[in-house]
Amino acid sequence: MGKYLLRRILQMIPVVLGTTLLIYALVFALPGDPVAAMFGDKPVNQAVAAQIRSEYNLDKPFIVQYVLFLKNALTLNFGNTFAGQPVVSVIGRAFPVTVKLALMAFVFEGVFGVIFGIIGGLTKGKWSDNVILVLSLLLISVPTFVTGFILQYLFGVKWHVLPATAGANPGFMDLLMPAVVLGSVSMASIIRLTRTEITSNISEDYVRTARAKGMSNRQVILRHVLRNSLIPVVTYLGADIGGLMGGAMITERIFNIQGVGNTLFQAILRGEGTLVVSIVTILVMIFVICSLVVDMLYAVLDPRIRYA
Amino acid sequence: MRSSILVFGMREGADSMTDMTMNESNELNQSQAKVFFPDPLPGQERFVAPIEETPLREVDSVDEDVPPTSMWADAWMTLRHNPMFIISTILAILVILVALFPSLFARQDPSACTLANSLEPARSGHPFGFDLQGCDVYSRVIYGARTSVSIGIMTTILVTILGGVIGAVAGFFGGWIDALLSRVTDIFFAIPMLLGAIVLLQMFRTSTSLWKIIFTLTLFGWVNMARITRSAVMEAKNLEFNTASTALGSSPIRNLFRHIIPNSLAPVIVMATTSMGTYIVSEATLSFLGVGLPPTVVSWGGDISTAQNLLTTNPSVLFYPSAALAITVLAFIMMGDAVKDALDPKSRTA
Amino acid sequence: MSQEENMAVKADQQADVASSGPLLEVKDLKVDFTSDGRDVHAVRDASFSVYPGQWVAIVGESGSGKSTCAMSVLGLLPGTGRVVDGSIRLQGRELVGLGRKEYEDLRGSHMGLVPQDPMSNLNPVWRIGSQVKEALVANKMDVSREKRSRLAQELASSEDIKLRSSDDELFISSADLPGLLKAARQVLDEAGVPNPDKVMETFKGEWDVGSETRWGVARSLIRAGVGEDRAWGIAKAHVTGSDMNDRIAGLLSEAGLPDAATRARQYPHEFSGGMRQRALIAIGLASRPDLLIADEPTSALDVTVQKKILDHLKGLTDSLGTAVLFITHDLGLAAERAQHIVVMYKGQVVESGPSLEVLQHPQHPYTKRLVQAAPSLASQRIISAKQRGQDAERLMEHHVKGESTLERSEHVITVEHLTKEFKLPRKRELFKAVDDVSFSVKRGTTLAIVGESGSGKSTVANMVLHLLTPTSGTVTYENQDISGFKGHELMEFRRHVQPVFQNPYGSLDPMYSIYRSIEEPLRIHRIGDRKSREQRVRELLDMVEMPESVMGRYPNELSGGQRQRIAIARAMALNPDVIICDEAVSALDVLVQDQVLRLLNDLQAERGLSYLFITHDLAVVRQIADEVVVMQQGRLVEHATTDEVFDHPQRQYTRDLLDAIPGGKLRLGLD
Repeated sequence: MGKYLLRRILQMIPVVLGTTLLIYALVFALPGDPVAAMFGDKPVNQAVAAQIRSEYNLDKPFIVQYVLFLKNALTLNFGNTFAGQPVVSVIGRAFPVTVKLALMAFVFEGVFGVIFGIIGGLTKGKWSDNVILVLSLLLISVPTFVTGFILQYLFGVKWHVLPATAGANPGFMDLLMPAVVLGSVSMASIIRLTRTEITSNISEDYVRTARAKGMSNRQVILRHVLRNSLIPVVTYLGADIGGLMGGAMITERIFNIQGVGNTLFQAILRGEGTLVVSIVTILVMIFVICSLVVDMLYAVLDPRIRYA
Repeated sequence: MRSSILVFGMREGADSMTDMTMNESNELNQSQAKVFFPDPLPGQERFVAPIEETPLREVDSVDEDVPPTSMWADAWMTLRHNPMFIISTILAILVILVALFPSLFARQDPSACTLANSLEPARSGHPFGFDLQGCDVYSRVIYGARTSVSIGIMTTILVTILGGVIGAVAGFFGGWIDALLSRVTDIFFAIPMLLGAIVLLQMFRTSTSLWKIIFTLTLFGWVNMARITRSAVMEAKNLEFNTASTALGSSPIRNLFRHIIPNSLAPVIVMATTSMGTYIVSEATLSFLGVGLPPTVVSWGGDISTAQNLLTTNPSVLFYPSAALAITVLAFIMMGDAVKDALDPKSRTA
Repeated sequence: MSQEENMAVKADQQADVASSGPLLEVKDLKVDFTSDGRDVHAVRDASFSVYPGQWVAIVGESGSGKSTCAMSVLGLLPGTGRVVDGSIRLQGRELVGLGRKEYEDLRGSHMGLVPQDPMSNLNPVWRIGSQVKEALVANKMDVSREKRSRLAQELASSEDIKLRSSDDELFISSADLPGLLKAARQVLDEAGVPNPDKVMETFKGEWDVGSETRWGVARSLIRAGVGEDRAWGIAKAHVTGSDMNDRIAGLLSEAGLPDAATRARQYPHEFSGGMRQRALIAIGLASRPDLLIADEPTSALDVTVQKKILDHLKGLTDSLGTAVLFITHDLGLAAERAQHIVVMYKGQVVESGPSLEVLQHPQHPYTKRLVQAAPSLASQRIISAKQRGQDAERLMEHHVKGESTLERSEHVITVEHLTKEFKLPRKRELFKAVDDVSFSVKRGTTLAIVGESGSGKSTVANMVLHLLTPTSGTVTYENQDISGFKGHELMEFRRHVQPVFQNPYGSLDPMYSIYRSIEEPLRIHRIGDRKSREQRVRELLDMVEMPESVMGRYPNELSGGQRQRIAIARAMALNPDVIICDEAVSALDVLVQDQVLRLLNDLQAERGLSYLFITHDLAVVRQIADEVVVMQQGRLVEHATTDEVFDHPQRQYTRDLLDAIPGGKLRLGLD
């Protein structure tokens, strides 16, 4: 187990380096002058521009820029935004909101996805299964932003059950609808995954052996069908945390939530490279750490992995 | 006859001793052996079925009544009887027809807008009404299909080629090539498709070319295809018929093209069909976010984006392009599901 | 348990059964499956009975409905299967139409299952111990004491040492054991028992925690010479009943797993196939069912392991008084283990009766075919014919060439000091799969390599086929070292040395039609044009007795035996000199196996082919080989002519293999 963990951590390093380099290259090495973007259409004073270039290391070769960025990133020193605020404090304000949103979405998709998936899998071919299957297909087919608008219109505008947009400091109720929207597509995938796993596991030989032992149907389903079916579901859920943080961009825009997604989107539109790279780096780190945790979890849940 | 049964009885008694003998004596008492099996027990008498009732067939003869079927023919048979496949295929064909020949379905030019018509309700010749700019919603929905479908199909083709080649090379050669390609795959896997696409696309915000979307989606979308192809190729590579062909004199490269690739196509096809819908959604999402196609290009995503402010007043303007988008995506995802069921190795005997 | 006890039980049983009737009575059972909207009759009008404590075997080929019969008794028919007619009575109680709950109450405690495939029948995510525990918990078993069937109780009472109260059935616990051993040693010394160390060793072997009872301890002490009161005193003081973990360990060690307490904490993937099967036996017997259904319990295992496990199961069920419904495809195995045999064919019972009677005087043509074809029986017939000094020659399909003929013939393939080492993951030292093996295949003869899984026999085959490079040693074909073959030479070699592989489901590409499969070697070697190739494919199909109509078919439409015949046709396409058969008939039903072996023998007789025949089954060897090489753990342990190996095996390992051929203890008639 220890060796496995170590190997996975070592494999993580090139992934983190490669991913940040890729993002850094996309933002900084492509045509376009970030300094010009900073001043918008106003004429730029050459001396000021040069000063800014040296402050952001823009005057150095690309690869040097990247290494300096990495060095600073290790100490969480991401520099300042164009508006002069430290990047760290901007991120510090936005992250808690998005983390809250993502966690709520995570709980929503996990709980409902698994429950509906189990119902579908255990009643395969019956009406309940068909209804669940059609609903999950619909959720996957309708883009998040459309689902978002519909819910916003129905619950927020028409019926006034939930706030249509979230304010600066959103609470649980403010984030409820956005979380449902954010988690809906993943929930549909989890329903489908759980359902497939259950229908395939229920015909496994060891399930028959368990029945032959005289175990009750409930026990057989719990200990043999569900236990085994949930392994890939847990894996999917873990890998999805990163996806939720990224997907928050759309939800946050629809519901006007001041989270990471919105901040990142604004930064992209303004061409504020430093902020973009910083946020994306953090998101990638979260994703990579999540997949590491998932791998560990996988090893705990499935004893065969531990020795592989 | 009788004696043979007696012998059997004795042997039987002796057999069960082998494990647990403490003081074995082979001197079996004849009377004891006799009680062992005096006669067959009731219900265990000798029985021979009349041969007329249990006709004997030739050993292992081929049933020539059943028509021969290949794997593909078999899958096709399954698909033809699957209502989900029939519905989704009809929908998909319809959508593709609309995309190819929009002028057959809508007479109105989607960009011919008059502000006087702004938000006018439906009327004859304009079944879906007008949007804020006074454009005919129906013809915009019809013409929007072309954007979505061509991006979906082109991206799927490119992703299948790029991901397929990378996955096949990694799976077939293994070793350091696989290790290297797997790390590259991991790197791209760590960047969510939407995130990467937004970062890249904002550089080309003004371009009206569909290709910028296609290339971007391909760049961040090939990873899953590569992973699937890699595992399919690795699985097919280890099947015994490859060894058999090698022993017949076939070279590894010949095996790759003649045996391994044909045998790993099924999961690739399933993946391609299902992911087509995902790319269409992604394009719409990017246009919605304003980094996709500019408003001058007719697209569902763009129309939904411009209509979002009308949600409270004129929801129908938002509804039609959304419904068109959802139906198209649903068709491709359902088709993927049906194909998966038909090609699922578990449901096949071989 | 002594022999007298056993006989006494049998006698009691015999006296008893007539009055109490059968334990299991299946009458006119009909089972249907639904496929594509049509009903398929899997079992038609099957009837058979099992009496308490008896072994009854159902014999048949795959698809004969034997497993379906067994599963309908357990109420565990897969998929669309259902009992449409007939009755299944267990202890007089009708099972057909029982509800789920009622079935759950019966399973485990009244009927247990030992399933077929040990690899897929244990849940990979639970420890072995907890999977045993589930069986105990589900049936609310008292883990502190033995549950004995009425039959087994009679066994106990019939003896000099009486079972008096239920407390006499308490198991030794792990906490008890040290004190018990100490007290036993003390009392042995007091009683002046000679050679106490040796007696103590026996005790240690017998007194398994969670398995041996107070009564058993007292009995051992009394038999060792300790006074009755003293023995019972020690047993009472030191055998106080086991807890759950002790009982799990006890069950596993009963099933023959050494070091059971540690093993119980391991996961299935840490177990070998044989060990898993033992764990499954422990599970099947955990709740002391009256009937155990053993569905081909050893088919997936090596022959020697198979014999050990069946011997063990036999002993265990005899001591517990458990009846066994034994499902097998091997008539020899069935006759050897069961008192009563039921032969099934295409869903119907074609013949049933006392084992030996059925075997010696088969009446139904299908049974006759089976008796004729079963390699184990065929080889036993040859042995007994020889013992009686009769001419065994006429019994053999393959006429073994005499030593003198072998001496004279030239060597086609010679293997010298062949060694192959593999690097194992995460291990520094190399693993020697093949260790210094030398032999040669003589022209027009068959050399068989026999060994169990892991013996390195397939590795040898792959090196001879130039599919693996040896670490050291040489393979020569027609006096040329094949390691140097490249390009044209290699193609020439491939043309003359052809393989037939084990897995008939894997060695044909499922995407290729039969025509394309057989044509492939001709294409690779660019032989003939389209027309002449088609002509050749027709000839080849005719040679393997397959109709020409299969050309357009695909492998998934053919049976295992048919595919193997196609594989032989493909191998014959280039008119080779040598065919390497790697377990080519192992996966086939006996009749089909017999058919394929016959085909191979005919081809050899007609075309003077040489075979290198790799197998784990010594019984098959008799039907095909002239010479035998026995391999064990990568080494060649014996090399002689087939007769020599069968008549005068030199090594213990070879004797074990011979001994493991089912039916060895049967007296077979030669009619």
